[in-house]
Amino acid sequence: MDIGPMVSSLLRNKTGAILVALQIAVTLAIVINSLYIIVLRVEKINRDPGMDVDNVVIAYVRGFGDDFDVVDSITNDIDLIRSIPGVRTATVSNHVPLSGSGSGTGLRTEPDETIEAVPTGRYRWSEEGLDALGITLSRGRNFLPEEVDFIMGDSDPPAPASILVTQKLADDLFGDEDALGKTVYWGSMEPSTIVGIIGRMHGSWVGWDKLDNVVIQPGKPAYTTNKYIIRTEPGMRDELMPVIENKLGESNRHRVVKSVRSLSEIAARSYRSDRGMAIILSIVITLLIGLTALVIVGLASFHVTQRTKQIGTRRALGARRIDIVQFFMLENWLITTAGAVLGIVLTVAVAYWLEVSFELQRLDWRYLPAGILILWVLSSLAVIEPARRAASVPPAVATRSI
Amino acid sequence: MLAMFSYNIKLAFNSMRRNPVMTALMVAAIAVGIGVSMTTLSVYHMMSSNPIPEKSDVLFAVTLDSWNPLRPFDDDHPERAPHQLTFHDAERLVALAAGKRQTAMFESSLIIEPLGDDDLPFEAGARVTYADFFPMFNVPFLYGNAWDKAADRAAEPVVVLTKKLNERLFGGEDSVGKTLTMDGTRFRVVGVTDTWEPTPRFYDPINGGFQEVNEMFIPYSLTRVMELKSNGSDWGWKSEDIQSFEQWLNSESVWVQYFVELDSPSARDEYVDHLNAYVNEQKRLGRFERPLNNHIYNVEEWMEYHEVVARDARVLVGLSFLFLLVCVLSTIALTLTKFVGKKAETSLRRALGASRWTIFGQQIVEVGLMGFAGGLIGLLLVTFGLQGIKYLYDSTPGLVKLDWLMVFTAIGVAVLSSTLAGLYPAWRVCSIPPAAQLKTQ
Repeated sequence: MDIGPMVSSLLRNKTGAILVALQIAVTLAIVINSLYIIVLRVEKINRDPGMDVDNVVIAYVRGFGDDFDVVDSITNDIDLIRSIPGVRTATVSNHVPLSGSGSGTGLRTEPDETIEAVPTGRYRWSEEGLDALGITLSRGRNFLPEEVDFIMGDSDPPAPASILVTQKLADDLFGDEDALGKTVYWGSMEPSTIVGIIGRMHGSWVGWDKLDNVVIQPGKPAYTTNKYIIRTEPGMRDELMPVIENKLGESNRHRVVKSVRSLSEIAARSYRSDRGMAIILSIVITLLIGLTALVIVGLASFHVTQRTKQIGTRRALGARRIDIVQFFMLENWLITTAGAVLGIVLTVAVAYWLEVSFELQRLDWRYLPAGILILWVLSSLAVIEPARRAASVPPAVATRSI
Repeated sequence: MLAMFSYNIKLAFNSMRRNPVMTALMVAAIAVGIGVSMTTLSVYHMMSSNPIPEKSDVLFAVTLDSWNPLRPFDDDHPERAPHQLTFHDAERLVALAAGKRQTAMFESSLIIEPLGDDDLPFEAGARVTYADFFPMFNVPFLYGNAWDKAADRAAEPVVVLTKKLNERLFGGEDSVGKTLTMDGTRFRVVGVTDTWEPTPRFYDPINGGFQEVNEMFIPYSLTRVMELKSNGSDWGWKSEDIQSFEQWLNSESVWVQYFVELDSPSARDEYVDHLNAYVNEQKRLGRFERPLNNHIYNVEEWMEYHEVVARDARVLVGLSFLFLLVCVLSTIALTLTKFVGKKAETSLRRALGASRWTIFGQQIVEVGLMGFAGGLIGLLLVTFGLQGIKYLYDSTPGLVKLDWLMVFTAIGVAVLSSTLAGLYPAWRVCSIPPAAQLKTQ
């Protein structure tokens, strides 16, 4: 088909075409940038935490009154929890990974305060801790029972002889060298030896860029609030949560069971703002695409009605139905493409604004062709029905006066 | 004039009825645009609102640079001092009482032992603070009052409950003078606060700018006696041998927030001089090894310091206003198309003596009306949107509240944007010469 007359017709009626093209351009800029943010957030939420998150339950308990003995309470609670059928194991921990509440520290490879420490999350649990979270040790060994003692809340215990670190922390500390068996130094410049390396494990703060840096010390923290990490047999979690809560509640009246929650729920809370952003943006782009498609349909329908006589004349002069459909599709394609070209410029401008003002990751260029493709398909779909209606105008219309 | 206006409105309704699909599409475009942009703007507006406008320029958060001599507290902002104080510095600054009012504070929690035989003990959040907290921050009281300064000095076990906790414990009655046992200590209720939901929670953005206010308030001096622990964040740099609670309180860990109220904004420099004098004195004791770096921040500066307005909220406002732009562009295109379809009618009216301005005015009234309708529907969408955000983020009620300013803004933006969108099409229509269109028919 000859594009020349169509372009000149568009130019004659240019305001309408320009407006639609502008709308498509802005739509493209919003859709591509939002889609990119959504994909980044979804990827973030779906990262592998290195734990059996689905089968882990966390119980928070706190004792009160003068008769309360925290060490007794923890020992009895852990025994009680382990005796429940369907519970695989349990430990007491200073913090809960993925919970947003944790402890951080810095480690060095030399006992020298002037060199920069490598930041890391820090946990303290017993030899059951790895199994309780379903964490796999890639090399070395776990803590031995004799290395695990109670640590009281107010005391700052001496550095342990043995610690576990994640592979990521090992790499940050020692680079290409093998970290297993090496010595690291705490802020106090006391040494500890790395006895085991965890392939992968997430710490507490999901928004922190050092989430994969974790060091684990042996011990049973006896603090004000005691956090029990409990792993159930696969699929037993939901059934066991109320059982655990009841048994703990009944066993000791000097202790409040603050909450019993699944680790999945705790993790979901930590990722709440990321999930919220992804959902809001999804709604926004759905509305936007819907609106733009409707407007294209509306305008095209209107133009078809306006041009009934013209279409009839063309049909009378020998244009086939397919020619009419093609005419409207091609006209629409021209407008969409013009909008898309302008849209690329706008998209990059918005992406730049987001990157500079909000430190968002730079837009992946592959989203540009993908967005244009989506727009082409959508705008073609939107114009099919009006175009078909145009094609069904009988040639005889031309001969009638309106 | 009024008759003309009502005639225009009648014409507008006629015109809308003749083209129901186009009209619905235009109203929907405006409604969706308003719904999306005003939802995000409302959240942004609440996040960035001034929680205590009557005093925000005389209330100051205090920071002292007691950090590691080898490196700054925050590598990204090396000019900043730690955002919290050590327990003992805060205690001494309050004792010096250099401001009009001052308070040190932190978050803790206590186990409330059952009042009746059937009740269970439960944990409740407490703000551990000074008597000045209440008048400083204009906390309203339902019953009783704040404790007096003697209670601060004597570490008296007194408590101010929030309305919510008072309802849970005492069914909402006047509980002043009643006692309750918390963590083994018997407390006397001295006051119950009325609803108080500062948004953002300006006095503690460190532990969350949009959290609920703690359920009760108790004196800071009880920290020593009851060995109260902070539930908030603590930051340390120095390796100290800590084997007792007393040693912890005397450590260099920073975990206490400090606010001062000054007589006027201009007393600021003088107060910083006072802080510097305090720090210089401590330097003689071998502490505060960094160069003098003490700052105070008024409420709005403090909110900015902690980036209380979430980055995501700002991104959403930006993107949703682009969305509104799309809606306006749609409206222009639709209006133009619709008016062009009325060429014949307009020509006829012009031929019958209607002036250009009459035609123009009539078109503007028509889009304005559609904008108003779109704004109203948009507001409905905003209330849904805010409920959605409350659900997604589990936000405090203060954050998803739609205030009158936002309602008027929404209607105003709707009418304004649709009227602007109608200007060009209306101008096009009213420049149609009389009867020109009649000829072809």
